[in-house]
Amino acid sequence: MTDITLEQRIAALEVETGKSETIPAKDVADFVSAVKSMFGRGDKLDGNLFHEIGELAKFINNAKKELQEVQGTNLAEKEIPQASNQLDAIVQMTEQATGRIMDECEGLNTNLETMRDVLLSMDPPLDPDALAGIDGAMTEAAAGVTRVFEACNFQDITGQRIQKVVKALHEIERQVLRMVVVFGLAAKEDTLDDTTKAELAEDRHLLEGPSLPGQGGLEQDDIDDILAKLL
Amino acid sequence: MSVDRNMRILVVDDFQTMRRIIINLLRQLGFTNMIEADDGTTGWEKVQAEKIDLIISDWNMPKMTGIDFLKHVRSSEDHKKIPFIMVTAEGKRENVITAVQAGVSNYIVKPFNAMTLKEKLVKVVGDF
Repeated sequence: MTDITLEQRIAALEVETGKSETIPAKDVADFVSAVKSMFGRGDKLDGNLFHEIGELAKFINNAKKELQEVQGTNLAEKEIPQASNQLDAIVQMTEQATGRIMDECEGLNTNLETMRDVLLSMDPPLDPDALAGIDGAMTEAAAGVTRVFEACNFQDITGQRIQKVVKALHEIERQVLRMVVVFGLAAKEDTLDDTTKAELAEDRHLLEGPSLPGQGGLEQDDIDDILAKLL
Repeated sequence: MSVDRNMRILVVDDFQTMRRIIINLLRQLGFTNMIEADDGTTGWEKVQAEKIDLIISDWNMPKMTGIDFLKHVRSSEDHKKIPFIMVTAEGKRENVITAVQAGVSNYIVKPFNAMTLKEKLVKVVGDF
């Protein structure tokens, strides 16, 4: 026993027990004995150590009670999925709204082109100065439509960021369910079916998503500098 | 060099809104002949089926990503010379380098405006 370090003992226990939730009583006794040996006090462990272990046990017990109070199962099975669904709905609604904005912009462009054709084909022709003024205003209107299209970029970026949050929520949901199983609140290890687990594993890379400003993403100017050196 | 505004431009993005934005900005710049695809697989089919003069593609897409699509194009004897612009939110240095190594013609990071798109088009296909 004394030839084996505590770390080695813990590692051996982990290997022996594998995924099993229970550890044989003999192994626990050996482990306690190893701890006692490590402190060199045999059965007369320091009172402070007992006190600390007692406090730790109380802390774990309280944490367990608090987890029960927040209803981890409810959080994982209802509240987080609901939050994900809300975010999905936001993506869909902004996508639909952006679609309608672009429909209107395309309609405006068509009308502008029609107006230009009508004005240019008028007989007798319009006064050249008046025509130039109208043409300038229409060109500015078309530029405004272009700026609206540019502004619609937001939907793609926000959509991707929200998807990133949704994926993160799925991961939290998975972790909460794991805690629920560990603390025995639900004792249903297979709450997540295999398909969901596979989907989560497959989508994990999407957690990367578009980076936020200041989080490693480069601006167009930085990218142009890199391209200038490489291309 | 004068650019043919009737050149056939393939716009590839899984997000319909983004395809519409790019196509409308191209239209504002005077281009008239755009087709679209919603992922790299469909894009690659269109490249093989039609004569494409320029590809503008997103990076993150299902089935076949933009970078894999680019590699397909560059490894094809018949299509490897098609200019390829990557338009993506992936603005990380390693992604830019990966794209360059795969043979990208230029790289636009989202969000972008018509001026940026025009600058890149001028660099890739010539002035207009």
